Amino acid sequence: MKKDLLVFHGNLQQLLDKVEKGEMIPKLQASHAPMCKFFTAYYVISGIRHVVPLVHGPTGCPLYMSDFVRTRECCEIRGVPLEPTACTTLDESHVIYGGEGKLLEAVKEAYAKYNPDLIVILSCCCSGIIGDDVESIAREAEKLVGCRVLALRSEGFGGDFRSGYEDAFRLIMDLMEPPKKMMKGTINILGARWGPSPTEFNWDMDEIERLLGEVGIKINAIIAGGCTVEQIKHAREVELNASWCYDWGQKLGDLMQERYGIPYSKTGQPYGPEATKEWLLGVATPLGMEKKALEVIAREIQKVKPDLAYLRQALSGKTAIIEISEFPGPIRALSLARMAAEFGAHPVVINVHPYTIKERMPSIKFLLETGVNPEIILTKGLFRLGTFRSSKETEDELEAIVKEYDNVIFFGNAGRFPPCPVVNLTLMNPAFQPQYGFRGIENIAALVRQALENKDLPRSRLFRGMLYGTRTR
Amino acid sequence: MEPGHDNEVAGAAPQFADTCTDPYLRCAFNGAAQTALGVSGSALLAHSPQGCDYLVNNAFASQECDYMETMTLCTKLCVDEIVHGGEDVLARTIRDAKDLPISTLFVISACGPEIVGDDIVAVCEALQPEVRFRLVPVPCAGFRGSQYDGIDIALDTILKRLVKNDVEKIPGTVCLIAPGANANPTWIADLDWVRQILSQMGVRVVATLTHRTPLSDIENAASAETSLLLSHDAGQKAADYLSETYGIKQVCRGIPLPIGMTNTQRWLTALGERFDALKTAEVMVAEGERMVMATCRRKMPMARFLYRTPAAIIADATVGIPLVRFVTEEMEMTPELVALYTSQRTVRDLLEQELKSLKLNPKVVYGTDVYKTRRSLLEVKPKVIFGSTIERHASKGLPVAYVVEVVRIMRQFRMINREYFGYTGILNLFECVQNEWTMGWRSKERRYEAKW
Repeated sequence: MKKDLLVFHGNLQQLLDKVEKGEMIPKLQASHAPMCKFFTAYYVISGIRHVVPLVHGPTGCPLYMSDFVRTRECCEIRGVPLEPTACTTLDESHVIYGGEGKLLEAVKEAYAKYNPDLIVILSCCCSGIIGDDVESIAREAEKLVGCRVLALRSEGFGGDFRSGYEDAFRLIMDLMEPPKKMMKGTINILGARWGPSPTEFNWDMDEIERLLGEVGIKINAIIAGGCTVEQIKHAREVELNASWCYDWGQKLGDLMQERYGIPYSKTGQPYGPEATKEWLLGVATPLGMEKKALEVIAREIQKVKPDLAYLRQALSGKTAIIEISEFPGPIRALSLARMAAEFGAHPVVINVHPYTIKERMPSIKFLLETGVNPEIILTKGLFRLGTFRSSKETEDELEAIVKEYDNVIFFGNAGRFPPCPVVNLTLMNPAFQPQYGFRGIENIAALVRQALENKDLPRSRLFRGMLYGTRTR
Repeated sequence: MEPGHDNEVAGAAPQFADTCTDPYLRCAFNGAAQTALGVSGSALLAHSPQGCDYLVNNAFASQECDYMETMTLCTKLCVDEIVHGGEDVLARTIRDAKDLPISTLFVISACGPEIVGDDIVAVCEALQPEVRFRLVPVPCAGFRGSQYDGIDIALDTILKRLVKNDVEKIPGTVCLIAPGANANPTWIADLDWVRQILSQMGVRVVATLTHRTPLSDIENAASAETSLLLSHDAGQKAADYLSETYGIKQVCRGIPLPIGMTNTQRWLTALGERFDALKTAEVMVAEGERMVMATCRRKMPMARFLYRTPAAIIADATVGIPLVRFVTEEMEMTPELVALYTSQRTVRDLLEQELKSLKLNPKVVYGTDVYKTRRSLLEVKPKVIFGSTIERHASKGLPVAYVVEVVRIMRQFRMINREYFGYTGILNLFECVQNEWTMGWRSKERRYEAKW
C-alpha cells in the first residue's frame, strides 16, 4: 500500500480507539463542514404533521428548510402539503434589546395563522447568544394558545449534528402521555426525519412496513417521519420500539426504554439476508410473533433465492472496496461491509470521516459488538482544505488503492472511476430502490450484475471531466 | 392545516403584526456571500458555525461557481469560540489557506461572531502581511437584513476597499450593478443579453458588480462613465455611491427592466439616447420585434387563448414589476394580484407608476411572505399565477388553472440558462406558459386499460 496516500489503515476498532483518544482530529479548521445542530433538530421536528417549526432567528436559518426540505423534498417529491416554515426574522434591534417579546407575539400569531397541532420554537445562533429564554416563552405562550408549545435550544454552534436530532427526539418525549391501554402487536419506528413524510428514503421504509405487515405487526407512529401529535401521545402504549436506522433511533429508543420501560429492538440496517432476518426477528420475537416471522422470512428468502445464489457466486473471494460519499456517514458503509462479508467478499471501507465516527460513537460501538469490524482506510484527501466537493484528490487515491488489491469490486456510486467493476449504490436513482430488506436484495443483485457484466464498457469521459477536470495526475 | 381546508375561508386577509413570517428572502449573510463569490480568482471564508456554510453553498450555486476554481471555507465555530471569541480560529484558518492561488479572500462574518464581537477587520489587517492575496473582511451577519441588504453591504465594502481612485474616465463605458439580485434562476442569461446589446451599441463594460469579475475590473470600476443597475431589489446604493464619489451617472433609472416588448423598447431607447446609439437601438427594437412576431407566427403560442384571464404575479421586484406590463400588454391577461418580495420606496414608486400608466388596479402586496401570498390568492382567486414552485403548492385547493413557474423554480430544470430580458426573453416566457398550458391539458388518468 502506498503509504504516502494514507492517514489511517487498520480496522474499525483501531480507528475508534484513535478517534476516542482525539488522535484523528482534522488539523485544518476548514476541512469538512457537515450540518449544524439547528438543521438536524429542524429535520426531526418538521417530521410531525401540522407542526409550526418557529425559528427564532434571522431569515437565513430557514433557507435550506423552506426551499430544499419543505418545497422540494416534501411538497414536490413526497406528496406532503405545504406547511409553514415560520420565522421571527430577528434584526439588529432584537440582537441589542432582546427578542423575547417578539417571540411571544410570534407564537400567538403562528397559532392564529396556521391553526397547528403543535408549535416548536427552535432557537438559533442569534437568539441563543443574546440569551432569549425560549423555554420560558414557550411555557408562557402555551397558556395563550390552543396547542402545545415546546422550545428546543438548537443553536448551530451549540453541538454537532447528532446533538440536534437527539435533543429533538428528547423533546418529542414531552408529548408522550402515560399509557391508557396497551396496543398489542404494535410498535413505533424511531429515528425518521425530513418533512412530514416517511423517512429520508421512502422506499426503504416501505419495505420495512411491508415486512412488518406480512408478519401482522402494526405501527403506531413513525417518529418523526410524518407522524401526528396524536400518535406521539400514544407512543407509550406500544409493546416495542424499533428503528429504521439504528443510529438515528438509538437515543430515543434508549431513553424510552430507560424512562418508560418500553423495550427497544437493537439491530443494524437491514442490508442483505442476515441483517434483514435479524431486524425482523428483533421486532417479532419480543412480540411473541417469531414463528410467523420465520415463515415470512422463509417465504421471502425463497423468492430471492436466485439473487442470493448470484450474489454469493459473484462476490465470493472478491475484495469489496466500499465508499459512501453521497451522504457521507459511516453507518451505511458499515452495513454494506457486513453484507459484502456475508456473500464471501473481503470488505474494505474507505474514507469514512473521523468526524462522523465521533458523532456516531454509540452506534459504531454497537456495530463492533455485533462483530462488524472491517478493514478501514482513510486517505489524505479526506483531510484537505475545503469541502468534499473538491474530491479530485480522493478520486486519485481511490484509483491508486484499488490497484493494490486483487479481484476488486467497488461499492459506491458512479461518480467514481476506479479501475474495477463499480456497483452504483447511489440513493439518487429510484429505479433500484429499496436497498433494504428482501426487495433490496433483488435490487443489489441487479446492480452487482450490471457492474460485473458491463465492466468492460467505456466509462463516461464527459462525466469524469465534469467531476474531476481533464488534467491527469 | 392543509391550505384550502378546515378553517380557511376566502376573503380579506386578517391583519397581523408580522411577528411570525414565512419568508421568501434569505438573510444578509447569503446576499453578501453571493456578491463575494461573483469575484473570479477569489475564495470565500465564512467566519461562522458550520450550518451557515449551506448559505454559502446556495450563493455558490446562484453564481454558478466552479468548484475546481473557487474554494469556500468555513471556520466552523463551536461553543468555545462563542464563549471565548473566534478570532484565533479565524487567523488560523486564514493561515491554512495561505497557499491558495487566489487574488482575494473574502472573509464574511455571520451572526454568532458578530454578536460576540469578533473583529474580523482587525484580524484581516493583522494577517495581511502574511498572505499573498488580498484579505477583504465583510461583516455581514444574517440579522443585518435580507439577502438584498447583504448584496448592498458587500457591494459597499467592495467599492470602498477595492476600487482605485486614480483611474481615468473611459468614454462610452458602463459599470453593471447587481445582476444577481434577480429571481430568474438563470439570471446569468439576462446579464449576457445586456452585455451583448451594450456591445452592439459600442458600449464597453468596465466592471460587473459582480459575476465572474476579475479583481482588476473592480479596481478600475471608477473609470466607467455610467452605471446600469440590473435589479429593482438591490444595488441602488452602489449606483448612488458611484455617482456621488466618482461622478458615474446611472442610466435607465426609473425604467422597468427590459421584460416584454414595450419595456425592452423603452430600455433600449434610453440606452441608445445616452450612448449616441439611438439608430442602433431602433434597429434592435425593429429586428427584435420582427423576430418575436415571426417566431410566434410559426409556433403559435397558446398564451393567446388566455385573453383577459385574471392573473397573479408573485415575484421579486426585478422580475415582477416588468412582468406587469408584459402580462397585460403582450399576453393580454389581467393582473389582479401583484405580490412582491420587497417593499422599499423605489419599488413602490416604480410599480405604482406602471399600474397608473396601464390603468390597472390589482391587489398589491409589498414584502409578501408565503402566508400573505396564500391569503391573497384566496381573496383574489386568480386563474393564472406567475410565480414559483411555492405558489404551485400554496394554491392547492384553489381554482387556479396554471402556475407558470418563472422564479425560484424547483420543478423544472434548465441546463441552458434562459433570459427573460429582451426579445428571446419574451419567447422564453411564452415557452414557460406553453409548457404549463400543455401540462394542464395532459390526461391525469386513463379511462380504460389497453388490451395489448
